[in-house]
Amino acid sequence: MIFIPDKDNDGQVEHIYREKTDRRILRKNPWKDLRLHGTVLILVIIAELIGTITIPVTKDVAITIMPLIYTIILGLAFYLIKPIKWIHRRQARIAEGAMMLFIGVLIAKLAISSGQSISLIFEMGPALILQEIGHLATILVLPIALLLGFKKEAIGMTNSIGREPNVAVVVDKYGFNSPESRGVFAIFIIGTVIGTIFISFLVTFSLSFLPLHPYAYAMASGVGSASMNAAAIGPTLAAFPGLETQIEAFAGFSNLLSFCVGIYIVIFIALPLTEKIYYWLEPKIGKESRVEVSEEEE
Amino acid sequence: MPDLIDGSEAVSVHGILNWILLLTIFSVITVIGNYLGYKHPMTDSLIGMGILSLITLAGVWMERELPFNVSSILYISIIGIIVAFPGMPTSEFVLKYVSQVELLSIVTVFLAYVGIGMGKSWDEFKALGWKAIVITVLVIAATYYGAAIVAHIVLVLTGVPAA
Repeated sequence: MIFIPDKDNDGQVEHIYREKTDRRILRKNPWKDLRLHGTVLILVIIAELIGTITIPVTKDVAITIMPLIYTIILGLAFYLIKPIKWIHRRQARIAEGAMMLFIGVLIAKLAISSGQSISLIFEMGPALILQEIGHLATILVLPIALLLGFKKEAIGMTNSIGREPNVAVVVDKYGFNSPESRGVFAIFIIGTVIGTIFISFLVTFSLSFLPLHPYAYAMASGVGSASMNAAAIGPTLAAFPGLETQIEAFAGFSNLLSFCVGIYIVIFIALPLTEKIYYWLEPKIGKESRVEVSEEEE
Repeated sequence: MPDLIDGSEAVSVHGILNWILLLTIFSVITVIGNYLGYKHPMTDSLIGMGILSLITLAGVWMERELPFNVSSILYISIIGIIVAFPGMPTSEFVLKYVSQVELLSIVTVFLAYVGIGMGKSWDEFKALGWKAIVITVLVIAATYYGAAIVAHIVLVLTGVPAA
């Protein structure tokens, strides 16, 4: 994010990426953790050796499962499975910090494709800018959240996709302990755990069933989260062979727009609009009983 | 509460060395995956990863050293676009080597770290009810389809052929 208006919590929320990276990378010697990097190497080798699997569903429709899905799921499994003793919370923390640095490599690769196709990007300018406004569609989920019994949490939950910059905006506006912030935290945590896997399947299915323009798919993958962007580009690249550079260029540029412009759309349009609709709609369809977002419901 | 906020530290030589070593490890793993998956020659893709790592390093360094409140993502994007800009003296060299590194090879390695890292949020994740999961899934789908459908309509209206 480039700018988050902050009044009293100076230096607290607006540099989440930097702080996360620095905290994990500068204090420890993360490169020394050979158990982590060795595990990643093994996961990557397994994933690349299995390769892409195509499962035909009907005559024309096929589901492709790519190596990137194996590495996320195996990575999570290695952390969760008890007999695997060498991947612990410490490794997960280092992985998370390292990831914040490695996003840069991904962004650099996408930026080089964008630079190469810069004239095409200018030609497609209107589509690229207007699709950012398409992200406002998250507000359509607000009534469903109300019907499920959420109260003010729903404002934090449905104003945007709820990644780091959005969390910062909501926390800044409503305060750390507000129901709105609890809502956006819930979306952030769930998005962290299932977002990448979910979006990769969502894109795979959509590519088979929805005949949209290849560039539209490329632009849509820039949802404002580097890992979800990465997971969404995979199936898109595989579906349109021969258009790799263009797809990378649009995906990268649209993700960049989501970071720079998208945040202002959230601050000035999405959040106020969600709030207005909430206060109008809540008395009409809100449930009597409230659901606590951060409550244990086993 | 998700673990988001903590104090930051200033850049030190020590820190930069850590970044370089981490990027080196990342590059080596990516080059191996890139070779196994796409059979691209290892030396060329290693140079490609070197270029990408240098751009990343420059971006994270600028974020911390320059007086603007700008994310490294923006610096990295601008440097990447400039060095690959058609007509720039660097563009031929950069494109030759960076094209040897498939985006998907980078993504595969990156997501392995993401997978291990997200294990940490597992307990918090389990504490949230199914209702919040339903909302998250719908929010992600809405963001994606919202953008895809608007982009599609604009592309069709402006008469962009489906390549």
